[in-house]
Amino acid sequence: MRIKSALAAAAVVALAAACGSGGGGGSSSSAPSEPVKINFLSLAWQKESVAANKQLVDEWNKANPNIQVTYVQGSWDNVNDQLVTQFTGGTAPDVIHNDSPALSGFATDGYLLDLKDKLPAELKSDIPQAAWDTVTFDGGKGEQGIYGVPFLQESQVIIANKKLLEASKVRVPTADNPWTWDEFSEAAKKMTKDGAFGVAWPMKSPVNKTLNLALTYGGTFFQTAEGKTTVKVGPEEREVLQRIHDQLYKDKSADPAALGQGTADPLPAFYKGKFAMLPAGVFLRQQVAEQAPDGFEWVTLPGPKGTTAQQGAVSQTLSIAQDSKHADEAMKFIAFFLNGPNQAKLAKGDWLLPTSQSAAADPAMTTQDNGWDVATASAKNLVVAPFLKVNGFDEWKNKVATPVLQEFYANKITIDEVAKRLVDEGNKVLERYQR
Amino acid sequence: MTATATRPARPRRPHARPKGISRRTREMWLLMLPALVPVLLFSVGPLLYGIGLAFTDARNTRNHETSFVGFENLVELLSAADFWSSFRIGMIWAVSVTVLQFVAALGLALLLNENLRFRGVARVLAVVPWAMPPVVIGLMWRLVYHPDAGILNSLLGTEINWLADFSLALPAIIVVGVWTGMPQTTVVLLAGLQGIPKELYEAGEVDGASRWRRFWNITLPQLRPVIVAITSLDFVWNINQFGLVYVLTQGGPGGQTRLPMLFAYEEAFRYRFAGYASMLGLAMAIVVLAVLGLYLWRQMRETR
Repeated sequence: MRIKSALAAAAVVALAAACGSGGGGGSSSSAPSEPVKINFLSLAWQKESVAANKQLVDEWNKANPNIQVTYVQGSWDNVNDQLVTQFTGGTAPDVIHNDSPALSGFATDGYLLDLKDKLPAELKSDIPQAAWDTVTFDGGKGEQGIYGVPFLQESQVIIANKKLLEASKVRVPTADNPWTWDEFSEAAKKMTKDGAFGVAWPMKSPVNKTLNLALTYGGTFFQTAEGKTTVKVGPEEREVLQRIHDQLYKDKSADPAALGQGTADPLPAFYKGKFAMLPAGVFLRQQVAEQAPDGFEWVTLPGPKGTTAQQGAVSQTLSIAQDSKHADEAMKFIAFFLNGPNQAKLAKGDWLLPTSQSAAADPAMTTQDNGWDVATASAKNLVVAPFLKVNGFDEWKNKVATPVLQEFYANKITIDEVAKRLVDEGNKVLERYQR
Repeated sequence: MTATATRPARPRRPHARPKGISRRTREMWLLMLPALVPVLLFSVGPLLYGIGLAFTDARNTRNHETSFVGFENLVELLSAADFWSSFRIGMIWAVSVTVLQFVAALGLALLLNENLRFRGVARVLAVVPWAMPPVVIGLMWRLVYHPDAGILNSLLGTEINWLADFSLALPAIIVVGVWTGMPQTTVVLLAGLQGIPKELYEAGEVDGASRWRRFWNITLPQLRPVIVAITSLDFVWNINQFGLVYVLTQGGPGGQTRLPMLFAYEEAFRYRFAGYASMLGLAMAIVVLAVLGLYLWRQMRETR
């Protein structure tokens, strides 16, 4: 009896173990004649962009019967949580769409493949070094590697109501001669009349926007000395913070209703003429172009300039998982997917700026329609956002910077408190990552 | 847990031969094995693994070597301000949702216990929220609270961004929590009400007790065991709530609705500190057990 029950127990355990591991390594060895299968996690979400992505995948699958790509739809909202789980469980897709701030952490943790020696020369030379810098990180063992191919970039512009802009008689800025922050604030003041505000700052997620704009005065927010990164909030960092705060509470030229809203939320009020200017990423032009009521005229203005016109650049990227069994095939697919003509299609679909120089020369990227000329011209001001290289930035952003900046823009705390909390609480967070 | 709870009492007859008893026991274990294996494999195993993780510096990364760190995670946890603020929010949430849920459900149960018209329909309607998964409830209420298109703002004529406001977000999700948990509380209380003998009320009426006195001196004492059971279950359920709040606010704005379980999730899956997150889960489990133990012990003592 004892032996019998022991046998039964062993059988059950073996069965359960077999079930548990069945899903894992099944597809590892495929005969040479069978096509290689690659999963491509895409985060495209705008209708045109999803269509462009799927069309390119179809094109590739038709031309390459031996390397079949499966399109997997993901979402920006939870992609990093999803990837952590998939990486840990060993089920990550081969080709991963993400953005450069997220890559730093995954690269350090060893989940992403260093593409340095795999990149085809043509792709490498078509994308400028400034863009490659946004994806070059420490791979966790001290050496720098390239952990993604940057393909779409976002810059900050000002979308303006043409009628209100012209009525205020201010100088209209151009890509070569943008407004200074002083001129911008002055213009906002002039446009504040008859119940309408000059500008609206939707600051539900204030961190990336503030940090990217802060670079116009050289505000980096982080400094690295002797291999240790700390937060810094000096005069350069305070400049843009104070100017936005002034527009809200001193000049009263910014619409307070928009403050708690997400980037696209104030658009209905914008169409109604409740405010004249909306500083936003270039992608927002898509919604304005599609949703604005008939007869609503709008223009795209370059972002304001401080001591420089530089803005922090964040790129969307394609990476390859370290554990991918078909890394070379995945690289071939990426090289096709991100060649000049295809990047132009993707950029058009997402209303963002291509990193590829041949794509940026595409006539569709330089037309005056929908402000493409201003948007594309702003790409030259993009430099690597310093926070990209900071390990632990995500936690700093969520736990410290987001609430602090939200409270500051809501006029609940002073700028000195902002500086103190960003630094004190922030350094505590960063310390966890530097042990 | 389940296994020990459902284990049948050992048959113990004083005159049976010792050998027979051990054989019976062995057969019983053999028969229970198929039921025990999934419990051990999918509940006890992960639980022990999680407890083990809590004492290591495990990270969800590929190139990290996990080592045993003893109580370091606990020390760090107890000194972290954001843990305590999350814990405070969790307590406010769990206590207020449980209490409000109980009060509202008791009212509803008393109403449904009366001889009303369409009582059957009303009882079915009261249970409807129970049939909805938390994610659907979350999405639905997000539409209710929507700043521009939400039904609440158009009813009140306000322009409040309920879920993004620092001081309103927590009350707003508490309302949703109460709404979600009311059906099961109502149903359990209703069942309890129907179990109270009618004679007690008749006797009370004969003695000239008012409605209020009858409620206070008959209904409540009679319901007591049911009330203790349902409020303690509700408390555990509420403090472990995750899906609903994750869909509604993701813990925002600025961490104002970051319940402990959301906090643990963020630590593990966003910042990848698996060991720390496990310790957090363990600490919460101990807190819940302690609070419940104290509550049940006091209730039992008073009943005795």
